[in-house]
Amino acid sequence: MNDSMSIPHLIMNASLVVQLVMLLLLAASVASWIVIFQRSFALSRARKAQKAFDERFWSGVDLNELYRDVPENYEAQGSEHVFRAGFREFNRLMPKTRSSEAVLDGVQRSQRVALSREEDSLNANLTLLATVASASPYIGLFGTVWGIMGSFQSLSMAQQATLSTVAPWIAEALVATAMGLFAAIPAVIFYNRLSSIASRLLGEYEDFAEEFHSILHRNLQGRGGNQAA
Amino acid sequence: MAKRNRRVGYGLPVVLAIAVHVVALLMTMLRLPDSEPTPSSSSVVQATLVSDVTATDQAQYAQEARARTAQRQAEEAAQAAAEQEAQEAARQAAEQQAQEEAQAEEAGRQAAAAQEEAQAEEAGRQAAAAQAEAAAQRRQQAAEQAAAERAAAEKQQQAAEAKRQAEARARADAEKKRQVEAAAKAEAEKKRQAEEKAKAEAEAKAEAKAEAKAEAKAEAEKKRQAEEKAKAEAEAKAEAEKKRQAEEKAKAEAKAKAEAEKKRQAEEKAKAEAKAKAEAEKKKAAEAAAKKAAAEALNNSIANEQERIANAQQSDQASNSFINLVKRAVEDRWHLPANADNGLVAQVRVRLGPSGELLAASITRSSGNPGFDRSATQAVEAAAPFRELQQLDAGLQRRFRDFNLKFTPGDIQ
Repeated sequence: MNDSMSIPHLIMNASLVVQLVMLLLLAASVASWIVIFQRSFALSRARKAQKAFDERFWSGVDLNELYRDVPENYEAQGSEHVFRAGFREFNRLMPKTRSSEAVLDGVQRSQRVALSREEDSLNANLTLLATVASASPYIGLFGTVWGIMGSFQSLSMAQQATLSTVAPWIAEALVATAMGLFAAIPAVIFYNRLSSIASRLLGEYEDFAEEFHSILHRNLQGRGGNQAA
Repeated sequence: MAKRNRRVGYGLPVVLAIAVHVVALLMTMLRLPDSEPTPSSSSVVQATLVSDVTATDQAQYAQEARARTAQRQAEEAAQAAAEQEAQEAARQAAEQQAQEEAQAEEAGRQAAAAQEEAQAEEAGRQAAAAQAEAAAQRRQQAAEQAAAERAAAEKQQQAAEAKRQAEARARADAEKKRQVEAAAKAEAEKKRQAEEKAKAEAEAKAEAKAEAKAEAKAEAEKKRQAEEKAKAEAEAKAEAEKKRQAEEKAKAEAKAKAEAEKKRQAEEKAKAEAKAKAEAEKKKAAEAAAKKAAAEALNNSIANEQERIANAQQSDQASNSFINLVKRAVEDRWHLPANADNGLVAQVRVRLGPSGELLAASITRSSGNPGFDRSATQAVEAAAPFRELQQLDAGLQRRFRDFNLKFTPGDIQ
């Protein structure tokens, strides 16, 4: 392996289009890695929060206490957000209507909105990761094809077509593909991993929403019975 | 969504993402410095060191050395020839002088009868001696010059010309002498004629006297006593004259003999001197020749030494060039396998036939990578035969019939 065939040397000697492709791929790779790290931290934090809220919710604490006992400017996330959205809607609707159906419908709607927002936040930027994972091999392939085109154009002017005249061009062309794969492979792996984590969390949120909905429904049935009785 | 983003910021993820990329980039860059020092000797085939001077330069040096020795020899030959010429010229001059002296002596002998001629001869001899001395001085000078001028042949040529001029002068002097001698001879002949005339007159007088006596006898026998007396007186006078003449002749002959002896002695001296000079010149020439021979021997030995060194270097370089040829041929035909690592080293023992054909190429030190080893042996097989082996010397051929090639992927791309 000669010094002239080192990867930085090849990148510096590549044609402008291939260099632009490489730059794009580098940016995509950096962005995908930023997303990977950010999502990893965010999802791990969301899972911790989900675990903590689950323990607290099922510890038998009073729901009004749970709802009121929050610090200033606290923004709930995950299943807590779903709980707070549903409970706030429940508290607002309770004085206005006596119909438990209408209260439960309102709570369910607000919980759906909260779940949808949680889903959005969980899957945020994962589309970028998916785009990088799917598109960067093609971008790298484009750079390679362009570089090989250039190499054959230069080869048509050469007298002798030896391996040493073609090799640098093809090598620098293949660097583009290598960079595309370098960006795509982590993006694919982490997209699958992060999206599975997010979907599992979202499943937990939905389960919690259903459980909370059933609790509210049970309370309303009791009150409706009390009212009816 | 907004609340989630506020809780988990993007600062730390950005830092971490950039850190991931920097680490990835460093991994690609850090692998290169690690891989580069391992092939410390980037040469594929280990070969002996080639000096900076190429074989052609060495050959040129040898040729220059030979040309220098040839020039030296030519100069020496020219010097020797000039000296020989000078010696010959000196000999010729000596011979000419000797001839001139001999001529002068002959002239002196011819003129021995006359004392005046003897004086002339003496003058001639003196002149000849003076000339001989002058010539001897010139010769000595010439010899000294010749001894001093071994360095430069041109000066010797000038000296030779000077000698020639001196010879020409000597010839001119000799001609003058000859003219002087001829004049002396002419004078001697005149004198002889005068003597003959005197003799003839004396005879005539004697006849006249005899006639007068006969007449006197015939006329008067009376005066026979007187006539007898007169005759006796005349005879006595004639005898006395004859005796005087004989005495004079004997004196002249004795003088001539003495002079001839003197001349002979002088000639012998001159000859001895000439011989001594010739011997001295011969000795000088012999010494010069010995010096030249010594210098030539030294030069020849130096030149031979240089040539031997040059030949040794040339043979070394020839062997190196052969190794380089083999190396290049093998490198050209070596297809490095794709999975070859930089650290791989394989040693292949190559055995060649007398005309450079490949007898065997076997792995003596495996790299551990079978594909790499196979590629090395295949490269040697593809590069064979090495016909350049036939151009090497016999000893070198034997040396390079069996050698090792070390394969490192260092400088093969």
